[in-house]
Amino acid sequence: MERELMEADIVVASRLSFKKKQAYEKYPKAQSSSRRWKHLKQILQAENFPDLPPDLPTYVNIESPPSTQPCKRLCDITGYEAPYVDPRTNLRYANAHVFQTVRSLSSDQVHQYLSIRNAAVVLK
Amino acid sequence: MAFVSRIRRQTDYNTYPSSIPIVIDNGASYFRIGWAGETEPRVVFRNIVQRPRHKATGETVTIVGDLDPAMMKYFDCTRSGPRTPFDSNVVYQFEIMEYILDFAFDRLGANGSGIDHPILITECACNPVQSRSKMAELLFETYGVPAVAFGVDAAFSYKYNQLHGICKKDGIVLCPGFTTTHAIPFVDGEPIYKGSCRTNIGGYHVTDYLKQLLSLKYPFHSSRFTWEKAEDLKLEHCYIAPDYTSEIRLFQEGTKEAEEKTRYWQLPWIPPPTEVLPSEEELARKAAIREKQGQRLRDMAEAKRLSKINEIDNQLTSLHFLLKQVDQVEEDDIPTFLSDTGYASRQELESTITKVTQSLRKARGEPKNEPAESEENTDSLNNEKYPLMNVPDDILTPEQLKDKRRQMFLKTTAEGRLRARQKRNEEELEKEKRNQLEEERRRENPESYLEEMQAQYKEVLERVEQKKRLKTNGSSNWNNKSGGVGRGERLSAAHRERMRLLTTAAFDRGKGEDTFGTKDEDWQLYKLMSKDNDDDDEQPDSDEAELARLSSRLQEIDPTFVQKVEGESSQTSGEVPRVRLLTEEDYKIVIGIERFRCPEILFHPNLIGIDQVGLDEMAGTSIRRLLHDEKEIEERLTSSILMTGGCSLLPGMKERLECGIRMIRPCGSPIDVVRAMDPVLDAWRGASAFAANLNFLGNAFTKTDYYEKGEDWLRKYQIRYNYL
Repeated sequence: MERELMEADIVVASRLSFKKKQAYEKYPKAQSSSRRWKHLKQILQAENFPDLPPDLPTYVNIESPPSTQPCKRLCDITGYEAPYVDPRTNLRYANAHVFQTVRSLSSDQVHQYLSIRNAAVVLK
Repeated sequence: MAFVSRIRRQTDYNTYPSSIPIVIDNGASYFRIGWAGETEPRVVFRNIVQRPRHKATGETVTIVGDLDPAMMKYFDCTRSGPRTPFDSNVVYQFEIMEYILDFAFDRLGANGSGIDHPILITECACNPVQSRSKMAELLFETYGVPAVAFGVDAAFSYKYNQLHGICKKDGIVLCPGFTTTHAIPFVDGEPIYKGSCRTNIGGYHVTDYLKQLLSLKYPFHSSRFTWEKAEDLKLEHCYIAPDYTSEIRLFQEGTKEAEEKTRYWQLPWIPPPTEVLPSEEELARKAAIREKQGQRLRDMAEAKRLSKINEIDNQLTSLHFLLKQVDQVEEDDIPTFLSDTGYASRQELESTITKVTQSLRKARGEPKNEPAESEENTDSLNNEKYPLMNVPDDILTPEQLKDKRRQMFLKTTAEGRLRARQKRNEEELEKEKRNQLEEERRRENPESYLEEMQAQYKEVLERVEQKKRLKTNGSSNWNNKSGGVGRGERLSAAHRERMRLLTTAAFDRGKGEDTFGTKDEDWQLYKLMSKDNDDDDEQPDSDEAELARLSSRLQEIDPTFVQKVEGESSQTSGEVPRVRLLTEEDYKIVIGIERFRCPEILFHPNLIGIDQVGLDEMAGTSIRRLLHDEKEIEERLTSSILMTGGCSLLPGMKERLECGIRMIRPCGSPIDVVRAMDPVLDAWRGASAFAANLNFLGNAFTKTDYYEKGEDWLRKYQIRYNYL
């Protein structure tokens, strides 16, 4: 270890006195860590929610409902109010000037704009 | 407030007796750890871990928290990105959690065997029991902690502020955090989770939105917009507009206020070195040099030509001399005489002479009388070269027959060449005549001539384009989403023909065996079917040639004529990307409307595509979920609304929330929105105050509790916040 690095002391030491079992013993490098741990979706599936009394608040229970207010339609590019939609790309735009920009976008950019809004069609 | 980290190793760990709890605020953005009873956490760092490889030794090391870019040169960071133990706001990766806890305890000064203090750690509201139990297991097993307690950070923040009189016993806490936003109602000082609600929008999404918008707006600089830079920009410039629609109207109209609100970020830009225009003298000097060089070349060429002429002249004279000599010599002695010189016969000599004279004349630049000459030549040579031509066949030997055939062949080719040359000459003359006529017509009547030409041009253009359209089946002209096979393709005659051929080819041979290919004619099918064959028509060529001629003519005489490039005429494309020099302007990033467009998603998550309620409506949802009968409770709740959490530092949030909540409450009801004293640290402070209380251990559970009582009990475990 370089001297500068040791002085900066940013690395976690591999052997710590207060631990009963060190990290390198616990996690041999063979397994990829992401497969070892369950993601949130899997945790929630394993939770067995239907068996619980219905009025007990759980992680899934307290999730917010969809909004009842009318959805605000904003231009994808400028952020102004957008009463129009381009039929070819499904992007919202505010006026004719922005429309020209919309038509000059590459399909890559169009896809990105739509995916910000979660409106991109992903073909798999 | 930019990234704040405090990671100096604390030295007073041993001064604390083992009854003093350690307080941890385990947040998705920052991890804070410290001692109970204090007001400031000792160690604060970002909750991320990186495991790069050390370049020199090759071992994988762990680095927790924000990176110092200066130190990064020692590490190879290609295979490790920053990883967080969180998935949304729930801890799921305990390996990373372990590294973080290692680092945290280490910096707190822990030594000796095991952490001998009870721990209070925060979690999200209604944490799934699996995550909770794994965390407890980690703390008990690996660190040897005697007792553990779990609490909700938003609740701690509320209690802390209640302690200081900022909010009342009943109220609602709105906590926009890093990945999620919670609204939790408090009745009698205890949080009622039944009435709480959570939206999956937080500071992370705001930063991400800003980053994506800027990258799309300035694709040239997209590498500049890292997530950290976007976070910096957000912290510095973003604010919440009191009313989004009126604010964008300001910007749309380009008012002065809009101008004031726009911020500019100038990227470093070095202008390209400007070329100094050469002065007059320079130009003159250069021209003179060029002139001299040209002159020199011309002189050289002239000298070469003269020398060549001389040479040929000499050759000619010597040949003439030789001829004269041959004339003087006897008939029979010619072969012997000529064998020295290399010429086989007199005829050869004469032909060489004529060739040399011709080349001499060419070198001298005199007009060629070639056609006449060659005609003479061929005439004279005819009889000599083809002596056998006129002799009838039957008296010739087989060898001579072969010779004769060869000579016939030579003669016909020579004659053919001659004819071609003649035809060419005639055509040229004709063209000249036509051009003359045209010129005359033009001079007589320029206007009508021009019109005529233009009309002709248009006609021919139409014809050519029509043919093109048929070929490509009209798909380029119409609005076709599918591009390749559109309606046009299916209906065109050529396409139908192709289909017919394909189907008949498939059908006819289908009986029993497939005999396609045994006959050579079968393969001709592919030739017919191929699309490329359409291009081999003769017709378009003549039309296109006509078009070219007309357009060149028009370009000469009509100053306003613009040649129509094929394919562009019927399409109006958008802005043509102009290649121009990049100016300083291009390097200026304008952040105007994005300043308040990005935090808007906290109030309208469907701008991002997340179909949930925004901050202001969450308060209403939370009240609705409480299921009570008294009107009074509602009023008490809304009159004490606390904003806490990192995102609540955005300016303008308080006013916006008030407006928003007023919209959903009945008219005239009391609404009072307050911000926590320190939205970022209050959660930790509240937890610290809670842990300092003597009753703390009653709320915590020990290792034996954990193992004996089982999962169900753990699920129901809640601390009681009312420690007063």
